[in-house]
Amino acid sequence: MDFLRPTSWRDALEAKAHHPDATPIAGGTDVMVEINFDHRRPTSLLDLTGIDELASWSEHGGKLRIGAGLPYTRLIDELGDRLPGLAIAARTVGSPQIRNRGTLGGNLASASPAGDGHPPLLASGAEVEVESVRGTRLLPVEEFFTGVKRHALASDELISAVHIAPATGAQQFSKIGTRNAMVIAVCTFAIALHPERQRVGTGLGSAAPTPLRAIEAEEFLSGELADSGQWDSPRPLDDSVVRQFGDLVARAASPIDDVRSTADYRTHALGVMARRTLGWVWDEYRNHPSSTGRPECA
Amino acid sequence: MTTAEESMLRANAIGTPLTRLDGTEKVTGTAPYAVEHPVDSPAHLHPLQAAIALGRATGIDTSAAEAEPGVLAVLTHANAPRLASTGNGELEILQSGEVGYRGQFLGGVIAETPEIARRAADLIRVHYERYEHDVELRADRDDLYKPEQVNPAFDTDTAQGDADGALASAAVTLDATYSTPMEHNNPMEPHATIACWTDGELTLHDSTQGVYWTQAAVAPLFELDQQQVRVISPHVGGGFGSKGIPHPNVVLAAMAARLVPGRPVKFPLTRQQMFSVVGYRTPTIQHVRLGADEQGRLSAITLDVVEQTAKVKEFAEQTAIPTRTMYAAPHRRTSHRLAALDTPVPTWMRAPGECPGMFGPEVAMDEMALACGLDPIEFRVRNEPETDPESGLPFSSRNLVACLREGARRFGWHDRDPRPGTRRHGEWLVGTGVAASTYPVFAMPGSQATIRATPDGRYAVRIGAVDIGTGTWTALTQIAADALEVSVGEVDLEIGSTTLPTASGAGGSSGINSWGSPIVAAARTLRARLDEHGGTVPAEGVEATEGMPDNPHTSQYAMHSFGAQFAEVWVNADTGEVSVPRLLGIFAAGRIINARTGRSQLLGGMTMGLSMALHEESVLDPRFGHVVNHDLAEYHIATNADVGSLEVDWLDEHDPYVNPMGSKGIGELGITGTAAAITNAAYHATGIRVRELPLHPDKFLR
Ligand SMILES: Cc1cc2nc3c(=O)[nH]c(=O)nc-3n(C[C@H](O)[C@H](O)[C@H](O)COP(=O)(O)OP(=O)(O)OC[C@H]3O[C@@H](n4cnc5c(N)ncnc54)[C@H](O)[C@@H]3O)c2cc1C
Repeated sequence: MDFLRPTSWRDALEAKAHHPDATPIAGGTDVMVEINFDHRRPTSLLDLTGIDELASWSEHGGKLRIGAGLPYTRLIDELGDRLPGLAIAARTVGSPQIRNRGTLGGNLASASPAGDGHPPLLASGAEVEVESVRGTRLLPVEEFFTGVKRHALASDELISAVHIAPATGAQQFSKIGTRNAMVIAVCTFAIALHPERQRVGTGLGSAAPTPLRAIEAEEFLSGELADSGQWDSPRPLDDSVVRQFGDLVARAASPIDDVRSTADYRTHALGVMARRTLGWVWDEYRNHPSSTGRPECA
Repeated sequence: MTTAEESMLRANAIGTPLTRLDGTEKVTGTAPYAVEHPVDSPAHLHPLQAAIALGRATGIDTSAAEAEPGVLAVLTHANAPRLASTGNGELEILQSGEVGYRGQFLGGVIAETPEIARRAADLIRVHYERYEHDVELRADRDDLYKPEQVNPAFDTDTAQGDADGALASAAVTLDATYSTPMEHNNPMEPHATIACWTDGELTLHDSTQGVYWTQAAVAPLFELDQQQVRVISPHVGGGFGSKGIPHPNVVLAAMAARLVPGRPVKFPLTRQQMFSVVGYRTPTIQHVRLGADEQGRLSAITLDVVEQTAKVKEFAEQTAIPTRTMYAAPHRRTSHRLAALDTPVPTWMRAPGECPGMFGPEVAMDEMALACGLDPIEFRVRNEPETDPESGLPFSSRNLVACLREGARRFGWHDRDPRPGTRRHGEWLVGTGVAASTYPVFAMPGSQATIRATPDGRYAVRIGAVDIGTGTWTALTQIAADALEVSVGEVDLEIGSTTLPTASGAGGSSGINSWGSPIVAAARTLRARLDEHGGTVPAEGVEATEGMPDNPHTSQYAMHSFGAQFAEVWVNADTGEVSVPRLLGIFAAGRIINARTGRSQLLGGMTMGLSMALHEESVLDPRFGHVVNHDLAEYHIATNADVGSLEVDWLDEHDPYVNPMGSKGIGELGITGTAAAITNAAYHATGIRVRELPLHPDKFLR
């Protein structure tokens, strides 16, 4: 096995162009497990950890650009206040050791339906910046996932960053697992309020072959809130609205039975998580319409 | 003749929380585990495992593997040493191409590095003839059979009085079926061996619960005298029963080493390999029936257990055993029936028998208490037996009621509202539950201890015991010090090798009993000899060796430890998620030799019980006959975040009959009853009675 160690992003892209079958490795928390279990036998590994710029973040034009190689621990510490939904999700990933190594770029490229980073990115309308020697593209995150553990990267492309707007309203994330830590999610749900656009964003995990948005639920709730003038003068939500939102989220899912849980349970739990997180974000919005979320609460 | 009281050791070091004597070595990483022993130019073994559940390997093409650079030898049934027939179908591997379960060893590659061995093993092509396999346990199978006895040598069935008649006329009855799933032992250190043949003799550095147990199993297979097999195991990273009886990995390592004589062969199993070759706890289906009068006095108790064994070797878990001891009732019956399947062989897993057997019946007791309108503690107290219900023997000591009462006081049980599903904390339903714990006092025959006093004032204590992480090094040193009436600093203990006097293994919570008793006997003889020398040690030293003393009380008393476990459980009303913020265990297990390591054993047992209640379940795919969740990512064991407040304490229990230390054994007691206490608390929280473990969230959304 070859081990390629580029020290600049340019070199990494060149290496990937020359070795399209090379497996990129960032934190290695997925790659090393797959190699160990013989699920993957790379002919060469392309180590991205020597590229400092990949593990950094910056701000341009009102958006945050998070380098694909930024570990969860730094994402939580340095961006948690501005990306509360993503930070809550990141805190549920693995253990401290895994959060020290694991990255959002790796989470995206693994494209697991259960990746905890994905639902908050969907709820916030994030974009994935992918790059090759041929150039750069920006993909809406929902277009990035094409199937179970499949994504839209061409063989010479690498993920360079994620672009995401800082929260303008409350955000939440909820995860159900069969134990309290170190667990592959039974299902997850993320919600983000975007008062400036009068929109609600959602993201569902472990609910279908790919992470997905509950678009009907988003349309319904955004419409309800706008029609009743709630963005400007928020009131407690009608139970019927909350219930309908939960039902629409559950309906968006097409889960399966597996060793972790059943399709029925997942569908039920998604509805619960949708209602629960909507309750949280809406309470927060009513109490502090301008704040950015409740990062303390998972 | 000395009385039991007089022969009891005076405790000085015993009972103190002496820190582990091997603690520094362990935390600094210098304590050698099996495959870490320094050996010269080791070779490495990677196994070839059957990819079908039943059938025959009709051809094994090893040519590509043999051609790999660095490969020293390829082992298959074609070139494997012939083993003597000992009637152990689990260990007699590679004698033909027959496959009895998926994952069974068919061979292996010995190479210069583990990586080469693994890669070459992958290049082996096996052609199979498949037979239809049968791996599903159900209570309604028509081929269930009655084993001759259950582990280790209990009656399969027992009956007294007329249980059916008593049930028919009982004022209150309960008839319910409970189940526990297949569960796998996952000690931190995997099963691991270094095998080396020199001059026709075999040395095994093995991660084992008994160096002499391994010797006894391996020597006859290779037609060797016991002394020709040397087993060394000073430190073991957990076993929980799965390292008790050796498994095929030890035999495969020995076979492989035969092919490269003089070279040590290292064979640590991977976590995934463990799931098919080192045993598991059988799933159990427990049919419980209870009958009581209006006052809540039990007239009948029956427990009929269905479980599985493997066709390649029988293992009959003694699940009904605790029911024979726990509660009084004139009419009673217990039975075990087995389905023999094309699965790996089940084996001991912490408290085999008592652990699953204290689930169904202890949940049934909770259900019955409610049916009788009684508090579950009061109901148990009312059915406390005067003597051992089945044998009629008096108990050497039995403090279940005292544990229940002390636990109730500490837990704050007195003002508990028995109505289920009535306490809420936000979206969480809150409940509390109780269950009893029990474990028998086992003493294994055959151990010997040698103690040698030297003029420099030191005492060398030698016995082939093992420390599987429990604290044997420390506890035996304390016992020896008290028996010699010296300080622990004057004692040099040696354990963990067959070069030391014979000893039984660490199993059945019997270690301290079976090793401590001969140490005490040898110390007493030594002191008598020293007295003959006027109390001074002659230049040549003084030595004494004693075996396991005969305990006359064993046939006169029923000997068991008991405990009471209390749980607070929160169940999320919307999602069914279960959380256990609080567990309390109060135990009565005779004298606790080391307050620190003893506490750890009970804490660990309860944590494992919590894990059993909430998480542990091996999912066997009936189509292929393998465990799907065969690693720690998917076979969930409780993490720190799952364990809330966990409190352990014990009563000062005085029992002069069990052994001179007055100790009963605590390695397994703590896991018994925990899952029932949690399940009972979950019912109290929700009003939903779950009778199948584990308590996954979906079970609370019915
Ligand atoms: C014990 C444990 C617990 C875990 N718990 C969780 C959990 O709770 N939630 C969760 O979502 N995940 C969990 N994971 C999975 C894993 O940690 C995450 O998916 C993590 O985000 C992967 O990031 P990484 O940097 O380690 O990726 P790597 O393992 O380095 O890479 C993962 C994949 O991404 C590719 N890749 C990496 N960087 C790039 C790039 N810049 N461009 C293109 N491709 C790239 C790799 O080739 C590979 O296919 C856990 C893993 C372990 C071992």
